[in-house]
Amino acid sequence: MTKQHANWSPYDNNGGSCVAIAGSDYCVIAADTRMSTGYNILTRDYSKISHLAEKCVMASSGFQADVKALQKVLSARHLTYQHQHNKQMSCPAMAQLLSNTLYYKRFFPYYSFNVLGGLDSEGKGCVFTYDAVGSYERVGYSSQGSGSTLIMPFLDNQLKSPSPLLLPAQDAVTPLSEAEAVDLVKTVFASATERDIYTGDKVEIVILNAGGIHREFMDLRKTDAFTEECMFMIDLF
Amino acid sequence: MTIFKHNGSAVVAMVGKNCFAIASDRRLGVQLQTIATDFQRISKIHDKLYIGLSGLATDSQTLYQRLVFRHKLYQLREELDMKPETFASLVSAMQYEKRFGPYFCQPVIAGLGDDDKPFICTMDAIGAKELAKDFVVAGTASESLYGACESMFKPDMEAEELFETISQALLSSVDRDCLSGWGGHVYVVTPTEVKERILKGRMD
Repeated sequence: MTKQHANWSPYDNNGGSCVAIAGSDYCVIAADTRMSTGYNILTRDYSKISHLAEKCVMASSGFQADVKALQKVLSARHLTYQHQHNKQMSCPAMAQLLSNTLYYKRFFPYYSFNVLGGLDSEGKGCVFTYDAVGSYERVGYSSQGSGSTLIMPFLDNQLKSPSPLLLPAQDAVTPLSEAEAVDLVKTVFASATERDIYTGDKVEIVILNAGGIHREFMDLRKTDAFTEECMFMIDLF
Repeated sequence: MTIFKHNGSAVVAMVGKNCFAIASDRRLGVQLQTIATDFQRISKIHDKLYIGLSGLATDSQTLYQRLVFRHKLYQLREELDMKPETFASLVSAMQYEKRFGPYFCQPVIAGLGDDDKPFICTMDAIGAKELAKDFVVAGTASESLYGACESMFKPDMEAEELFETISQALLSSVDRDCLSGWGGHVYVVTPTEVKERILKGRMD
């Protein structure tokens, strides 16, 4: 007789996609607002974006309970930092903190796929992309979550980041204007909604620039397959 | 299922204005080793009908040989080339014959039907057809291809623009997939001519 294994998992995947694009003096961070479990939708109106510091915003997909716990830990650590240093954490500093926080739970990880976006100390846009255990890299753009395999190739095509192996070293920041970057984000979410059942409802877009923080919402296609599947299942019962 | 990832592949077909394009990558691998960088995944059935076979390479070759055989018999009996819709049904039936021991192939069929109307379809390994009006994708890079095609596709593109679009979609998608790549093969078919082009992409 084979050993019995637990069929209860501490994790769940609530789906969703996140994207961030860095510009010369702005950063755009976006995530859809759908929260699901299995083939069901829990809510169409859930924010995956967290404003960690004045110039630092995080979008996280994956297991939202772990994401919420992670946001709380980072928020508390930031408050401590402010008390001790009398200033806000810079985005690169928060990036390192996030990495360390994730690795701290290396052997029972936060099931959280993050993109961190903000402005660095020179006011240039920066984006950091993570895996679930804290491996991170500064990039010009990134996407995470269920729609990331659909979104990334198109972002590559439009934004192609220069290779870090090039000499002389080229900037990781993209040449797009802020309005073009926001349009690009809207396009990728519209495309991801078509083919990924876990992405949809609305997309929340946060723009960070010298003028501060600006948030907008865009409605996504209302008759997607997942919604229809759920409506069909509701009809059954 | 990992058997589909054994050789690595990427195939995509798109519909344009009175034309279609079908494209594939060129890598043939055995898991992580690359064996060939000029592997043909797309084959001609007749002047206005092409099939691209993704998945396990040995099964795609066998299936292709059987399909050519069946099509030649059809040509002898009917004195006609097969319509794309008919051919798609043939492929589907042949795959379903092997329902409990399938060919590990996902075909992509593209052709010009009656009145040179473009027709594309794909099916799973046991013959479930998926007809589409815009584009179809298959292979290890299929998720990336879905995203790229969904963003880049416009209806009623002319042959040149269709070539550009399908090439960009293919190259950016295979660049995010370890098992496909090493360039691309694109066929753009209009009622009057067929243009076959090789794409140069990242060779890794």
